[in-house]
Amino acid sequence: MQPQIILLKEGTDVSQGKAQLISNINACIAVVDVVRTTLGPRGMDKLVHDDKGTTISNDGATIMKLLDIVHPAAKILVDIAKSQDSEVGDGTTTVVLLAGEFLREAKPFIEDGVHPQLIIRAFRTAANLVVRKVKELAISIEGKSMTEKKSLLEKCAATTLSSKLVGGEKEFFAKMVVDAVTSLGADSRLNMIGIKKVQGGTMRDSFLVNGVAFKKTFSYAGFEQQPKKFDNPKILLLNLELELKSEKENAEVRLSDPTQYQSIVDAEWNIIYDKLDKCVKSGAKIVLSRLAIGDLGTQYFADRDIFCAGRVMEEDLHRVATATGASVQTTVNNVIPDVLGQCELFEERQVGNERFNIFTGCPGGETATIVLRGGADQFIEEAERSLHDAIMIVRRALKNSNVVAGGGAIDMELSRFLRQHARTIAGKSQLFINSYAKALEVIPRQLCDNAGFDATDVLNKLRQKHALASGEGALYGVDINSGGIIDTFASFVWEPSVVKVGFPLLSACISIFWIVNLHDDRLIIGSFLLCACLVTLHGFRSIYSPELSHMFFLVTSSALRNN
Amino acid sequence: MALAFDEYGRPFIIIRDQESKARVRGLDAQKANIMAAKAVARVLRTSLGPNGMDKMLQSPDGDVTITNDGATILEQMEIENQIGKLMVELSRSQDYEIGDGTTGVVVLAGALLEQAEVLLERGIHPIRVAEGYEMASKLAVDHLTHIGHKFDFSPDNIEPLVQTCMTTLSSKIVGRCKRQLAEIAVKAVLAVADLERSDVNLDLIKVEGKVGGRLEDTELVYGIVVDKDMSHPQMPKEIKNAKIAILTCPFEPPKPKTKHKVDIDSVEKFEALQAAEKTYFNDMVRQCKDAGATLVICQWGFDDEANHLLMHENLPAVRWVGGVELELIAIATGGRIVPRFQELTSDKLGKAGLVREKGFGTTKDRMLYIEQCANSRAVTIFIRGGNKMMIEETKRSLHDALCVARNLIRDKAIVYGGGAAEIACSLAVEAAADKISGVEQYAMRAFADALDMVPMALAENSGLQPINTLTAVKAQQVKEQNPHLGIDCNDVGTNDMREQNVFETLIGKKQQVLLATQVVKMILKIDDVISPSAF
Repeated sequence: MQPQIILLKEGTDVSQGKAQLISNINACIAVVDVVRTTLGPRGMDKLVHDDKGTTISNDGATIMKLLDIVHPAAKILVDIAKSQDSEVGDGTTTVVLLAGEFLREAKPFIEDGVHPQLIIRAFRTAANLVVRKVKELAISIEGKSMTEKKSLLEKCAATTLSSKLVGGEKEFFAKMVVDAVTSLGADSRLNMIGIKKVQGGTMRDSFLVNGVAFKKTFSYAGFEQQPKKFDNPKILLLNLELELKSEKENAEVRLSDPTQYQSIVDAEWNIIYDKLDKCVKSGAKIVLSRLAIGDLGTQYFADRDIFCAGRVMEEDLHRVATATGASVQTTVNNVIPDVLGQCELFEERQVGNERFNIFTGCPGGETATIVLRGGADQFIEEAERSLHDAIMIVRRALKNSNVVAGGGAIDMELSRFLRQHARTIAGKSQLFINSYAKALEVIPRQLCDNAGFDATDVLNKLRQKHALASGEGALYGVDINSGGIIDTFASFVWEPSVVKVGFPLLSACISIFWIVNLHDDRLIIGSFLLCACLVTLHGFRSIYSPELSHMFFLVTSSALRNN
Repeated sequence: MALAFDEYGRPFIIIRDQESKARVRGLDAQKANIMAAKAVARVLRTSLGPNGMDKMLQSPDGDVTITNDGATILEQMEIENQIGKLMVELSRSQDYEIGDGTTGVVVLAGALLEQAEVLLERGIHPIRVAEGYEMASKLAVDHLTHIGHKFDFSPDNIEPLVQTCMTTLSSKIVGRCKRQLAEIAVKAVLAVADLERSDVNLDLIKVEGKVGGRLEDTELVYGIVVDKDMSHPQMPKEIKNAKIAILTCPFEPPKPKTKHKVDIDSVEKFEALQAAEKTYFNDMVRQCKDAGATLVICQWGFDDEANHLLMHENLPAVRWVGGVELELIAIATGGRIVPRFQELTSDKLGKAGLVREKGFGTTKDRMLYIEQCANSRAVTIFIRGGNKMMIEETKRSLHDALCVARNLIRDKAIVYGGGAAEIACSLAVEAAADKISGVEQYAMRAFADALDMVPMALAENSGLQPINTLTAVKAQQVKEQNPHLGIDCNDVGTNDMREQNVFETLIGKKQQVLLATQVVKMILKIDDVISPSAF
C-alpha cells in the first residue's frame, strides 16, 4: 500500500480550475444583485436587520458591510466598496455594479476556454484607454468666482443626494453641505464638520450652525439659575474635574486631636474654591470641561452669572477649541487671556425635545455643525450617511474641480469610444474590449431598470445619440423623469471629477483581475492575490499619474489586509 | 437567502449563516412592510378624536396603563416588527417636536400606505408613488398655511389659547373638566414663558399628582409642591413670609473626602470629640438662625440629634429633597443653593409668602406647599384623581395641553380641527392633481384620499355614518368655499368649527403631514428585507 502524502492541514478544501473560476464569478454576481437596485435616483433601499439593530440604507458600502459576506472571492467586492467609500465617499454602488458586469461579460469567454490572462490583458488595455478618455471629457470648473463655484458644487452635491432618502429635499441639503464645506476651506479635516442627530421634526427643520453645537450635558442642581445667553463671551475650556473630592487616591489622614478635624475639611474646601475662583478670575463667561463639574461648581458659577457644562464630549470640546481659538487647559493655574476663546453669540436653544448649546460667530471659523432632524432613528442615520457622501464629494470637487455628465452619459460615451477603438484591433482582444464596452452600459441600463423604464429602448436611443459623428450627443444620458434621454450636463446632473468616475472604473478592473486570477480557493489565495497585485500594480504605475496609482495601492493593500 | 449553485451544481456559501437568514424582496417586501405598518395604524384608529376609545395595556410586571395617547400606546406595546418600530418612532417624533397629535400622525401614515398598496398593485413604481406623495404633501402644507388663522393673545386675554388646549383635552378621559385643565395649562405656560424670545422651558413646570380627591380639585400652584413633610412632627405646619435656606450639605459634622481616621486613645479625647460634634450641630443651627432663615430645606438627611436641636431652636426643616425639586425651589423663591453652612448669608435665602403642610383625607400623606414666591417662574400643577391610572393619564393629557400652549406661543397660528383642515387639504390636493402630468397624478389623488381617512375615522369613532358624513361635509366645503367645516363629532348642531371653537395648532398639523409623508416614503423605498429568520 502506498503511503498517503498529506500536504495540507486537515479540513482544507481544495478546488481549482475552470469550475472554481466560474463558481467565483457566480458568487460575485449574486452579491452584486443585492445592491443592483439601489443605483440612481429611483433606486430602492435595503432593510438589514441583525443583532446590532436595524439599518435602512441605500449606500452600497453600508449594505455590503452589513451583509457579512464570507465567500472569499465575493469579499473582494466588499473591499472595493469600502475603499471607494473611504477614498471618494460616493459611488460605492457604481463600483460594485461595474465589477459585477465585467465579470458577467468575462464568464462566457472563460467557459469557452479562453485563458483568463488574455482577458485580463485586454481589460487592462481597455481600462487604460477609458481613464484617459474620462480625463479628456471632463470639464473644468476651475477659475470661476466663488458664488459661481458654489452653485456648481451644489449641483454635484445634489446629484449625489438625489439617489438617497433625502432626495426630496436635495437642493436644501446640497446648499447646506456646500455652505458647510466652503466655510471650512478645502484643507480642513473632515471631523471639523459635526453632524448631530435629533429625533423629531422633519428634514426641513435641519439646520447648519456656523460654529459648534452640542446637546446639553448632564447638569446638577443650580444649572437652571445660570444665564443661558451671552454676547461675545470669553470661553474657558478645561480638562479638569471641578468637584469636591479627595486629591490623592490612596492618601489617608490620621488625626490625633479632634480639633484638627475642621482644618482638614477646610483644606479640601479651599482647594476646590481656589480652583473655582481662578476660573472666575480668568474673566471667562463660559466654562466647559471634559470631566465633571459637580453641583458645587454649578452653583458657584450660577452665583457669578457664568455658564458651565461638564462632561462635554471630547470631539465637541475639540471643535469648540478650534472654532473659538481657545486651548484646552488641564489646570486652572496661570490662565492667561490667550488661552481663552471667544465667539459672538452663545445660546442654549430648544431643538425638538433636547436643549442645545450653540456657539456662533466664531473667529476661527473652521468648524460647522449640521443638526439633522427626522422622523425616525433609522431615517436620521441614513440621512447622516447621505450627507457624509455629499460632503466627501464636495470636498473632492473643491480640490479637483473637473466634472463630467452623469445619468449614464459618460458611461455611454466611453462605451462608444471603446467599441470604435476595438475595430482597429486585430486578434482576440477585439472581442474582449467589445465586451468591456458592453459592460459599461450597465449604468444607464440599471438606471432605467430601477426607474421602471424600458431599458432596451432607452439604451438604443442613447447609442444612436452618442454615435452621431458630430459628437453633439456625447452628453446625453437617461432622463429619469420622463423615461427618455436628455442632455444631462445641461440639466445639471453632474458627476464631479475624474475621481468619481475614474476610480470606480479602475478598482472595478482590479477586482476582475483578482477574481479571474483566483483559480484555487483558499489554498493559494494569498499568493495569487500578491501576484495579481504586483502584476497589476506594475502595469498601472507606469501608465497612470501618481495620484491614481496611490489609490490603486490603497485598494490592494486594504484587500490584502482583509484576507 | 436561497443557496447559490454554481454551474456544476455545487452549492456555495456567500453570506455568513446564509441558511438562517430570511430575505424578502421586491413587491413582496413592500407589501409585507405595508401590512405591518397598517396593522399598527389600525390599533390607533379607534383612539382618534373626542369620542376615541382608550386602550388598556398591561406591562410584564403587572402595571396597568389606560390611555388614548398614541405615543404612549405604541411605546408600551413593545412592537417587535421592524416596520412597526418605524411607526412607533414616527409617533414619538411627533411627541418630541409638537407633543400633540401623536395618534393622528400614525393614522395618516397608515392611510397613505393603504392607498399606496393599491397603486403598487397596479404596477406603479414605488418611488413614483413616494414622489407624488411628496409633491402632494408640499401642496397640503402650503394650503394649511393659507387656511391657517393668525390670532393675537396677551397675558390678559388668554381665551384663544384656552380654546385650543381644550380641543386637545377633549379627546382625553379628562374631557369633562377640560375648561379648567386648559386654563391651568395655559396659565402655567404663560408663567414660565419668555415671551420676548418665544421660548418656553417646560422643565420649569412641575407636574405632581396624588391619589384621592376629585379631578376638579386639580390646581395650579404658583410655587412648588413637594411630596415631603417637616422633619419633626411638632414643627409648625404653616410659616408665613418664610425665609428659606436651601442647603446641599447634610446636618452632620462635615466629612473630608480624603480617607481619614481619628485615633481616640483616652477618655479625654473621646469627650473632646463628643464636645466637638455637639458644637458642630450648635454652630450649624446657629448659622442658619443668624442668617435669618425660618425654614431649612436640605438635600440630605440629618441626624436625630440635629433634628431635635432644630425643633428646640424652633427652626422647621425639610429633609431629603431631590436635586431637581431643590433647583425649582431655588428658582421660584429667588434663593441660592448653598453648599456649606459657612456661606449662608441672608441674601442667599429664598423668600416665599406662605409655606404650609397640607394633609390629605384620612391618609397620613402630607405635602409641602411653597407659595406666593418672590419669583413665580416655576410653577406646579397638582393633580388629584380617583386612582393612579387616572392621575397618570391626566399627566399625559396635561403634557399634551402644555405642549400645545407652548407651540402657540412660538407660532401664533391655528387651523380648524374636527377634520376640517384635512378635508380642505384633500380638496386642494385633488384639484392640483389634475394639473400634473405623469404617474404622480395618481399618487396625489391617493394622497387626497388618505387625508380623507382622518375625518372618516373621526366620524366613525363618533358613531356617525362615516361616508355619508364625510361626503356631506366635503360637498358643503366646496359649495360654501369655507375651510372651517368639519365633522360635528359631539352633535352640537353646526359643522362650522369656528363656531364650535375647535382649534389645532398650525405647526402641529403641518408636522403631522410632513412626518407621515417622510416615513411613508421611507417604507415605500425599501425593496429588500434581510433579517435573521424567525424560528
